[in-house]
Amino acid sequence: MYEPSAIAGLVVTAVLTAGLYALMSYGLALVYGVMKIINLAHAGTMMLSAFVVLTLNRAFHLDPVPGAVVSAAVFFVLGMALYRLAVRRVIDAPPIASLLLLFGVWLCAQNAAYLIWGSEDQSIVTPYTFSTVDIGDIKIAVSRLIPFGVSLVALGTLTWFLRATDLGKAIRAVSQNALSARLVGVRSERVATIAFGLGSALSAFAGGLLTLLFSFNPDFGGTFQLKSFAIIVLGGLESLPGVALGALVLAVVESFSILIPGWRGSLINLLAFSILVAALVLLPGGIASLLDRRGKTE
Amino acid sequence: MRLRQPSVWAPIALVVVLAMFPAAFPDELNYLGLGFLTFIFVTLAVAWNMVGGYAGQVSFGYAAFFGTAAYVTAILWSRYEWEPVLTLPLAGLAAVAVSLIVGLPCFRLLGPYFSIATIGVGEAARVLALNLDQLTGGASGLNLPLSVPSKPWFYWSGLALAVVAVSVSAWMRASRVGLGLFALRMDQDAAESVGVNSTVYKNIAHSSSAFLVGIAAGLYVVYFSYGHPNQVFGFDLSIGMVLMGVIGGVGTLWGPVLGAAIYYPIRQLLLSQSNLVAFNLLVYGGLLIAIILFEPGGLLGLIRRVARR
Repeated sequence: MYEPSAIAGLVVTAVLTAGLYALMSYGLALVYGVMKIINLAHAGTMMLSAFVVLTLNRAFHLDPVPGAVVSAAVFFVLGMALYRLAVRRVIDAPPIASLLLLFGVWLCAQNAAYLIWGSEDQSIVTPYTFSTVDIGDIKIAVSRLIPFGVSLVALGTLTWFLRATDLGKAIRAVSQNALSARLVGVRSERVATIAFGLGSALSAFAGGLLTLLFSFNPDFGGTFQLKSFAIIVLGGLESLPGVALGALVLAVVESFSILIPGWRGSLINLLAFSILVAALVLLPGGIASLLDRRGKTE
Repeated sequence: MRLRQPSVWAPIALVVVLAMFPAAFPDELNYLGLGFLTFIFVTLAVAWNMVGGYAGQVSFGYAAFFGTAAYVTAILWSRYEWEPVLTLPLAGLAAVAVSLIVGLPCFRLLGPYFSIATIGVGEAARVLALNLDQLTGGASGLNLPLSVPSKPWFYWSGLALAVVAVSVSAWMRASRVGLGLFALRMDQDAAESVGVNSTVYKNIAHSSSAFLVGIAAGLYVVYFSYGHPNQVFGFDLSIGMVLMGVIGGVGTLWGPVLGAAIYYPIRQLLLSQSNLVAFNLLVYGGLLIAIILFEPGGLLGLIRRVARR
């Protein structure tokens, strides 16, 4: 019943999806790493960015990939503004304050999208939306291949930025130990502002690329946000390789779920939720140690 | 209890006045309905506050309790022809069962991780309910018998339930459980070191609040004679409970009551006016941002600050 080519097809789909998932989750991991807060506005950013890409596509026939780049730049600035105006004030409050604050931002973003773009489902059709590439017996959709490639390039650039530039090193230093970083002269406030902008830009970039694969409306983003949580929790919350691994695990489980007897496609989101809860509960050591570290640095 | 203290006689007077409303205006059916649903939401807010406020564990997943209990009542009533009122204790117990299934693993998580996990739990429950269509009616919902009690009956039941909820909440605050929860909220490790068993205390609060939510859900689904997974398991119900607590004042006795009394009528107003419905989420999101940034104690905190001047 399960031919080798079908299995291979599932593996390829899983890997391609994982690339995009990793990109989408890394913004969250970056923000968590530097300021130890969970960005609940992530979903709102992805959704707004999808609409920005749609608008650029309608107005200038701009392809979603360059559209996502433009949108990422816009949300880099917006993210920094959000940090300076609001998030900065709740960094030292109990974690729930930042969670609720960013949740409020998400609600406002949703409402803004309803007002500007309406509640209908939107989708972007590109010249390559329906084309496929054949490799052996496996057909691969171009609309999956492109986001995967772009995600890899973006993640590669990010890794280079964090490893090779002074700013990137400062960001890593703050996420490893904020107090020590300040002691050696890192301006942690500036680093946090840039990291929040960068996190928002990554969310926006991923949201823009998601338009190649999915239709969207102002409620878009919620499930992808939960998937991102599941991925960063699986991956240990901060490291890029961890995020990539988490993304791969989720994508493989989702792809192969169709082999479960009696499975329905509409149950697919249950997987991310189950993995999220299971990972949170079964890996308490990892999470607790992260919290401990936060306690010590304060 | 001393009747002369305002904290004792004022609530009793309020309840007496509220209880006389249906007798005085038996034909104001719209207001009786609004009153009933406000009491239901007061119950939800007060119940949520036991965990979100007293224990400091903000849950985004209460719709899982509400939905399960609503469907227990709906199914026993429509398929097995139980009297709706007799289904309520079972609805409450079903919610308690779900609260233990959720709480036993999730209370091992702290702070934001608990909150994130409950978002997952709530959404998982909704997706599951949509797919178990034999049981829940799936995406088309479940139509229930139309023979429901009168509006004044609902009004008085809702009021009674809200009174019970506030009483339980007041008792919990003053009891050993409440003190234990406050201690846990301040510093879990320190509280455990002096003998507060965090798992037991949190689950007691969670189960008590789930029981109240379950009974409220049973009444709610009888009132509407209809149940739909997206309605009774809806994320906006969970958000509503968080918002009511935050607006009124998290962790206080009367804050959630105040929050619900303001939230629910405003919500109905926003949803009924076609030119306002478009600003629905903006109002809540803006409120949430403003409260967190400027007055984390909510309205009650604001009132206290003004009164102190």
